[in-house]
Amino acid sequence: METELSASVNPPVVLDDVSLRFVSYRDKHYSFKRAMLDLVLRRQDAEAVAEFWALRHINLQIRKGERIGILGHNGAGKSTLLRLMARIYPPTEGKLTVRGTVAPLIEMGAGFNPELSGADNILLNGALLGFSKRAMKERMADIWDFTELGEFADMPLKYYSSGMYMRLAFAVASSVEPEILLIDESLGVGDAGFQNKAKERIRQLLDRSHVVIIVSHDMAALRELCNRGIRLEHGRVVADGPIDELIDGYLEDARRLAAGAV
Amino acid sequence: MSSTQSSRRSVPHTAYFPDKSGGLLPTRWCAAIVDDLRELRRCSPVIQNLVSQELRVRYQRSFLGFFWTLLNPILMMATMTVVFAQLLGRGSDWRGYAIFLFAGQVPWGLLASSLSDCAFCIIGNEGLIRKIYVPKLVFPVSRVLFSVVNFALSMVAMFVLLIPLGARPSWPLLFLPISVLLFSTFILGLGVLIAVLNTFYRDLGHLVGVGLQAWYFLTPILYEASRFKTHPWFLTLNPAYLYIRQFQIIIRDGLWPDLGIVAASAVVAVVSLGIGYAAYKSLEHKLVFRL
Repeated sequence: METELSASVNPPVVLDDVSLRFVSYRDKHYSFKRAMLDLVLRRQDAEAVAEFWALRHINLQIRKGERIGILGHNGAGKSTLLRLMARIYPPTEGKLTVRGTVAPLIEMGAGFNPELSGADNILLNGALLGFSKRAMKERMADIWDFTELGEFADMPLKYYSSGMYMRLAFAVASSVEPEILLIDESLGVGDAGFQNKAKERIRQLLDRSHVVIIVSHDMAALRELCNRGIRLEHGRVVADGPIDELIDGYLEDARRLAAGAV
Repeated sequence: MSSTQSSRRSVPHTAYFPDKSGGLLPTRWCAAIVDDLRELRRCSPVIQNLVSQELRVRYQRSFLGFFWTLLNPILMMATMTVVFAQLLGRGSDWRGYAIFLFAGQVPWGLLASSLSDCAFCIIGNEGLIRKIYVPKLVFPVSRVLFSVVNFALSMVAMFVLLIPLGARPSWPLLFLPISVLLFSTFILGLGVLIAVLNTFYRDLGHLVGVGLQAWYFLTPILYEASRFKTHPWFLTLNPAYLYIRQFQIIIRDGLWPDLGIVAASAVVAVVSLGIGYAAYKSLEHKLVFRL
């Protein structure tokens, strides 16, 4: 059992030699028939056709107050790493420790129910993020204020436009005070006016969180928001350090690669 | 920005992967159970929300929502009373037969609806599971809770409707909550097992419907167990009969169930929950990759 003292000293996120393997199945709908045949013919997991290590031997310690930007090419494992820390994927090997409340801004509107009203969806989404009804009711006014959708509070979500939907999703996800905040890029929400508000709100959210981990290709934003960078290549950490150094290295490599290709 | 300290979870929870200790020791299982109970309690707002939204979706939009859900059992029972009271030679006592049918049919509905919902509860929430962390136990638990609420509502309403036919309140009805608790524990165990297995073997979902149909006829709901000269093996081996029998004793006979049947049903309920939980625990971390 953790004591109060050690909980405050221990880093909020620790990855100890973590690997994550995805297995592609020829047929996801593995059937009884197949299972029985496998059993009779003593085939070992015969239906697995390809496996792929999305993350390989990741060792990280993330301490309080760190703002981390994750860099890497498409398919380097950035989003997978984020999902791992959000506990959506359990690691195949290694040890993952997450201490504290986690708010994943990974997919907007996870768990929204189109049949329910906007207000009910706020409560439901809040519950999924780990906040009680009372806690969400306290935030309700702020959320309507921010989204400017107060007049639609009692309308079922299915009648919302997609812009309204995204605004509400964003407002709910960013209204909580997480200890660990995970942000996946593509936070472009709504029209230009709203985007500025959204940026401002993210900044406030960053200030309230103990740990922030951002995945993005927007180098300027990363430079501005983060103080530590982690670079992934093919599921491995290839660089870890101050954000400016990492971004410079990353851009340098990209330039060299482009020059080499010419 | 107002941030209220009180609304934050009081205990910062810590998650470890894999679980801290290894092996199949009983201590590990105890730790796992305590962990999962804590997780479920932490997620109780989610469960509450899932149940209440289901109820709302079912009852809110149509004025007669609740009546519609009652219509099906009423019609079924009326038809079956007409047919089987004749067939089983109880034409003269069709009122008694209707109450007997009610005592078995409505609890069976709880089992059937819970299990067929549970079969698809994890697959059906794929979108959610891949986007945000939720303990997957939340889904079968909320499905069973939802069915229990529906069951309780229709139980009361049907009982009122059957008063003209001779249904009478009696003291043993006070035992019903305990019977329902035992019955739903049994159902939850089975439901978790089916929910988890159906994620791996998708054809299981189709078998559930067929299996339930067969199971229904092997359970004395339409007919009385006493019509068999010797107690047949399929009643001895039928766990559902323990619970259905209890409901029949309490509702139809107006008697307190004897200790033997209550104890047996409690044991079966715990065993069922244990099996379901063990299956869940051993496959929990693979679920998300199989969706």
